[in-house]
Amino acid sequence: MSEMRIPGATPVAGPTAIQVARDREDVVIGDEIVRHRLSSRVIHWVVAVFFFGALFTGMPIWSPVFGWMAHFFGGLSVCRWLHAWMGVAFAASVLVMFVLWAKEMVFEKTDHKFNIGEYLRLSEGDDPDVGKYNAGQKFFFWMVVATGILILLSGIVLWWPTSFGQGLRSISILVHDICFIGFFAAIVGHIYLGTAAEPGTFQSMTRGTVTRPWARLHHRRWYRDVTGDRS
Amino acid sequence: MALQGLEIRRSSASLRGGGTGLRKLPTVAKYIDTSTCIGCKACEVACQEWNDLPLAQTQQTGTYQTMPTMAANFWNLIQFREVETPEHGLSWLLRKDQCMHCDEPGCLEACPAPGAIVQYVNGIVDVDPERCIGCGLCETGCPFDVPRYAQNTNKMAKCTLCVDRVSVGLEPACIKACPTGCLQFGDKNSLLQVAEHRVQQLKEGGFAQAAVYDPKGVGGTGVITILKYGDHPEWYGLPTDPAVPTTVSLWKRVIHPIGFVAMAAAIFGAIGHFMAFGPKKPNDTSRQTGGEV
Repeated sequence: MSEMRIPGATPVAGPTAIQVARDREDVVIGDEIVRHRLSSRVIHWVVAVFFFGALFTGMPIWSPVFGWMAHFFGGLSVCRWLHAWMGVAFAASVLVMFVLWAKEMVFEKTDHKFNIGEYLRLSEGDDPDVGKYNAGQKFFFWMVVATGILILLSGIVLWWPTSFGQGLRSISILVHDICFIGFFAAIVGHIYLGTAAEPGTFQSMTRGTVTRPWARLHHRRWYRDVTGDRS
Repeated sequence: MALQGLEIRRSSASLRGGGTGLRKLPTVAKYIDTSTCIGCKACEVACQEWNDLPLAQTQQTGTYQTMPTMAANFWNLIQFREVETPEHGLSWLLRKDQCMHCDEPGCLEACPAPGAIVQYVNGIVDVDPERCIGCGLCETGCPFDVPRYAQNTNKMAKCTLCVDRVSVGLEPACIKACPTGCLQFGDKNSLLQVAEHRVQQLKEGGFAQAAVYDPKGVGGTGVITILKYGDHPEWYGLPTDPAVPTTVSLWKRVIHPIGFVAMAAAIFGAIGHFMAFGPKKPNDTSRQTGGEV
């Protein structure tokens, strides 16, 4: 790791990458580039914790096949109570994430160059002009926000049995279900791409940094802008 | 509450639930002849008494009706309606409202809590409050607007058809209390014959549209109601063609299977993708020195 020093060698002056990454991003520190500042990483994991909290308290209600999950929370009645609050916390944390990230996630002109076919083949030619986030990542962000709103609204209707009409409730069941299934499939893809499929990505959400080769491979224009390396 | 000793035919949110199906028990039914009901409400009182339900607060709505609709602690309500009929002028229509004990109960289909709603082999649909999670989806699944959610306890409650009495050979409390014989209880097939006979009498008596209300949309009900105006169940506050809501069937029978397939597809898709396309990682030295793709 970059903090390791050879005994007797002169320490490199200045803060380490992990120190810089507390409040700054898009800067080069030694071999590393800070990709996500601490606040971005924290909100990501807060969203993730509440997402999985809501997921694992909701799945046993969705189907008895997942009934075993309920035991981790103290039974199905607890899940029915906790699921709603997990959902509220998830929605609130997505709102904070939206405020922090929305600006970077606005689609730009070059996004049409993103070749989803090439990307899914994990080819390097997916988008030669890709900035800090590719069009797929931006789409995922907006999908989370949009689905988050739908699942929150339908969830509120289902939360209080006597406060809404049965017609609205039966529609909410369908909306809530379809959002859940979409979320489940999307999160599997998100985790897969962030870990096994693209090694070196996960540390951008833990340590906050990526390596230069990683940045050059996955986000060519961002790499150029941050490092000044035109090669 | 779920009763010991009576086998279960169907159980909510239980994929391979149910009993042995070996015992022979007739499907029971409650017979209600609305044409001989005098609106005395003895059945209401008997229901409250037998089920240890406290006295309910009455609410004046301009009729003799005890309250506008059933409540979590009030499972049997005589409804009073005044309807202008073309043939007989103003008619005072009474109906005993309670759980219909459907053969294909929408509440049971919609319920996500395993065993919270059960259907015994004799057709009685019952709730087990210990397993009920108070989500209220049974209300959404019920075409008759029967289950009631108790705010203070977060549980659903409704008529049990006095399963505790029926299982030891007694008739339900409401039947026992009825002074006119408009309520009867027994084997559904036998009661359907009685009902046909009564409908015939009514037809001969000038009610040509008299009919038995045993709607097929929910597989028939454990409460068979004789209506003088059988072509207008809505005059009695009954749905004309009740069925489990399409959304509930769609949810349980279409979206659930699709959901399982989608979830499996996502997981196996990721694994298969990894094997087919491998990880995308920087090609070490050649990349760092600026080798073009």
